[in-house]
Amino acid sequence: MFKPSTKTAVTTAAAIAFVAAAALPHAAFAADVLRIGAPLALTGGLADEGKKQEAVWQLWLDKLNAAGGVKVGDKTMKVEIIKYDYQTDGKRAGQLAEKLITDDKVDFLTAPFGSGHTKIIAAVTERYQVPLLACVASSESVYDQSFKYLFGTLAPNSGMTDAMAALYKEKLPTLKKVAIYGRDDVFPKSMATSMATSAKAAGIEVVYNELYAVGTMDHSAAISAIKSTGADWIYMTGYTQDLILGRKQLNDLGVKAPIVTMVTGPAYREFTDGLGDLADGVTSSTWWHHATAYTGAAGVWPSTEAFYKDFTAAFKSDPDYVHASCAAAADVLVNAVQKAGGTDKAKVRDALEATDMLTFYGPIKFGPNHMNLGRDMPIIQVQGKDIKVLYPASIANAEMKLIK
Amino acid sequence: MPTLSRPLRYAALAGWFALLAVTPFIADNYTVRVAITVAMYSALALSWNFIGGFAGYPSFSTAAFFGLGCYVGALSQRHGVPLVLAWLLATLFVTAFAAALGTIILRLKGHYFAIGSIAIVEVVRLVISSWGSLTGGGDGLNVPLLSGGPDRVASTVLYVMLGIMLLAFIATLLVDRSRLGFGLRCINQNEDAADMVGIDTTRYKILGYALSALFCGTVGAVYASWVGYIDPTDSFSILLTVKVPVMVLLGGAGTVFGPIVGAGLFVLLEEFFWANFLEWNRAILGGIIVFLIFFLPSGILKLDYRRLFRRKSPADRVEAA
Repeated sequence: MFKPSTKTAVTTAAAIAFVAAAALPHAAFAADVLRIGAPLALTGGLADEGKKQEAVWQLWLDKLNAAGGVKVGDKTMKVEIIKYDYQTDGKRAGQLAEKLITDDKVDFLTAPFGSGHTKIIAAVTERYQVPLLACVASSESVYDQSFKYLFGTLAPNSGMTDAMAALYKEKLPTLKKVAIYGRDDVFPKSMATSMATSAKAAGIEVVYNELYAVGTMDHSAAISAIKSTGADWIYMTGYTQDLILGRKQLNDLGVKAPIVTMVTGPAYREFTDGLGDLADGVTSSTWWHHATAYTGAAGVWPSTEAFYKDFTAAFKSDPDYVHASCAAAADVLVNAVQKAGGTDKAKVRDALEATDMLTFYGPIKFGPNHMNLGRDMPIIQVQGKDIKVLYPASIANAEMKLIK
Repeated sequence: MPTLSRPLRYAALAGWFALLAVTPFIADNYTVRVAITVAMYSALALSWNFIGGFAGYPSFSTAAFFGLGCYVGALSQRHGVPLVLAWLLATLFVTAFAAALGTIILRLKGHYFAIGSIAIVEVVRLVISSWGSLTGGGDGLNVPLLSGGPDRVASTVLYVMLGIMLLAFIATLLVDRSRLGFGLRCINQNEDAADMVGIDTTRYKILGYALSALFCGTVGAVYASWVGYIDPTDSFSILLTVKVPVMVLLGGAGTVFGPIVGAGLFVLLEEFFWANFLEWNRAILGGIIVFLIFFLPSGILKLDYRRLFRRKSPADRVEAA
């Protein structure tokens, strides 16, 4: 029983003292700084998405502060983004939102990737009456509690599925049967259920309609069942890792369907990188694609092209909707501060509600549930090494190809 | 090997309790949130101590009980059950669930029990996740927000959590001094021998297991009301199920004060490393835990503090040996 030596005890005591010192609040802030809080998933399951948000906000911030800051009334404000890693842990996400509000005294918050964690944070910001900009939460169920301080820059899912069903029916008139296979998680699930409705409305028979649990590591049973239905359109939803696995197993089990849609696989570079040739022909819908060409936009970037140029220069890769929507959300916030003439939270909230602006990402105007109003969202397809836009006609740059 | 004398320990606990309780008056809401987290984990750790500490059964089903508590609390509230009643209902349901489950799973021992208990977390999560019509599935559930401003909500939740922690502590004291505690300790040392000397091991283990679930259910339900939104991934997090035993081991398994010391220290350490080493906090924390458990295998409470202030003399060595 001599083991616990004095040394260990001293170390422990030192650790405790350390902790006590760290618990003291530290708050230093200036009045002419606009402080935006960002709880991000920099580690854990959603780390890829969290890092995207981090990267694009840094780009946005550098550009903005290099230009001197934000003009609000007759003074110029610097912008600061205070970010924390919540480790893809919902409990910590809520805790951090509270820390950002009470300890770091941020003026506004942005939400992290995903509908679930956005909801957790929205419950905190609503309580404190702090405006919250959600740039990567698209499920209507996030906005159904009529929170007054929550605003989302993505458009509702339902707009996407109607357009897709109509387009495919037009390109492949013999299209009869669709198999729908979705991840049981807020966004992928709502895309799956919404597609079932849209397909039926477009006269396509839904021959398979199942959800798989979060963390499923094997889809072969479901894919065998899909194969036996003889569906000529396979529609799978999930996050990148699920979809890569799903596509590989479709191939392994010899499922041949002329149309394979994976939402929102091709919207991410990791999907095409991870699949190589197998990605060819996979279609998806997305909220934004850099082929869209908006000009004369307000905010840090005057056009989609300018954003694309800066982004590719900084990161040597193409931006996706997460990048664009989040950068645009920051623009929206700054715009609202300018309109409100300061950082008063209630005034900024009112200004946000009245937002009607064009950003490089597209027009932003919040509907009655505070989601960005729907517009034509692109349908994309992997063709060879490239991502081509099939819809809407105004920005389409390729014809849809069927998988042989 | 006594370290701090008993009265002194109670005084320290009362002081710690009072410190947590006054946070709403002296600190900002973030600190209150940390205090709530401390109280919450203390209650969970005290609960785990019944089965993991006293009986020595390495249970990993804390997250299953916590998550079920969240869901039962949230669902009953959504169906019009008043707040406090919903919390009680969650407690009852989870305890009954654990008792029923215990009759099956407690036939396993050692590693087999550990694996079985961790499987329960997964199974319950999958059931909740697949039963979409009732639980909302992967969409999660909105729980009616507690009324009042942020300050009021924070202090309400804090006092409720502290209350649960206090109850769990009193339950620990009672068990510690009762036949049940004695029986569980016997099971810990040698289950067959305990059986032979007339301890009804099955009944005792089930009681211990049910006790370890009781407060988890309440904590889960209160947590759900506090955050206002729950989903299967967060409610049944494997991380939670591992953290709680680590806290108890850190403080001293099978002791009365150990779980509280361990939970408090763990939460504060986590706060500290997380706030100061954004990229490496998990690794550092992991290292610290390995270090502490390696060098303090029976927990911090088994440190002989008096030896810190006194040079070792031969007499001490004899006494300690």
